[in-house]
Amino acid sequence: MSVHSVKLVTIGENLLASNDQAAAHNRDRLSEARVLALNLMASPGAGKTSLIVGLLGALQGRAQIGVIEGDIAGSIDTEKVVAAGAYDAVQINTGGNCHLEANMVERALIDLDLASLDILVVENVGNLVCPTHWALGEHLKLCLVSTAEGDDKPIKYPEIFAISDVIVLNKMDLIELVDFDRDFFYESVRALNPKAPIFEVSCRTGEGLAAWAEWLLSRREELLCVSPS
Amino acid sequence: MHELSVMAYLLESVEERAQKIGATKVTAINLVIGERTSIVDDSLLYYFDMLTPGTVAEGAQLAVRRTTMRFHCVGCDADYHPSGFDFKCPHCHTVGAVTSDGSELLIESLEIET
Repeated sequence: MSVHSVKLVTIGENLLASNDQAAAHNRDRLSEARVLALNLMASPGAGKTSLIVGLLGALQGRAQIGVIEGDIAGSIDTEKVVAAGAYDAVQINTGGNCHLEANMVERALIDLDLASLDILVVENVGNLVCPTHWALGEHLKLCLVSTAEGDDKPIKYPEIFAISDVIVLNKMDLIELVDFDRDFFYESVRALNPKAPIFEVSCRTGEGLAAWAEWLLSRREELLCVSPS
Repeated sequence: MHELSVMAYLLESVEERAQKIGATKVTAINLVIGERTSIVDDSLLYYFDMLTPGTVAEGAQLAVRRTTMRFHCVGCDADYHPSGFDFKCPHCHTVGAVTSDGSELLIESLEIET
């Protein structure tokens, strides 16, 4: 008869540690190439692709921008950002997965000419829950939310607001039409995240996009120690 | 929604650990999962049963210790769980600041046979 020894082994490690390691590796590659990487997270229809198109317009001639488009299916967004002036764009189709993971971004980085880029925007799959756990190798996490979605998003999806480095509130041109309580929204966001700057924009009218784009450039200078262009 | 991916990472990590520490079998996996992760236990168990056959964790017990999201009220010097309607302190109705409680996503320990 064989004798088994049973024992309890303490681990105390993040369940997604292997993804975190892959993300750290991606971030090192991007930092070395002086490419500021942004993880753009939002619900479907908040205006993720429109925000990228707005950024391309605002920084035209001042920064080379690459895009990784994460979608369950299709490549319509990649075509849009290339038409709007993205230096390079790569599509990742997750085939049903509700978020991007670091190893998917690692494969996409192979197809990008990092030496020519200043900023890489990774557009995550439209979802306010799942992307929060998977670091991709970004320097900044951006939570995009729109007035049309309602002022209660921070109450319902607290984590994405808590972990983001910057919050962009889109569709400001609709605010009067959709009963969005601005004070309640700010109060809830500040309870979760006292520091992240909040930019109010309208990708349709262009309002606020320049201020956000300038902020992003200044963060690149600080985080990657590059001089202003 | 994301429980399938979480389970796949968990089992990969458990396999790796088991090999490293010379375990022939994993009999229990103890997790700590916070409310802020929005991970649903039933969904996790569903994928656990689906993915464990043929692995070192086949037949193991999956135990999940849950933690809740807490806010801190400076005025009351107390932590509280929000109502679900807003983030106000239930006593003084001012808005507190979120703490790190409830954001855990940890493998706490493994019970193994060697």
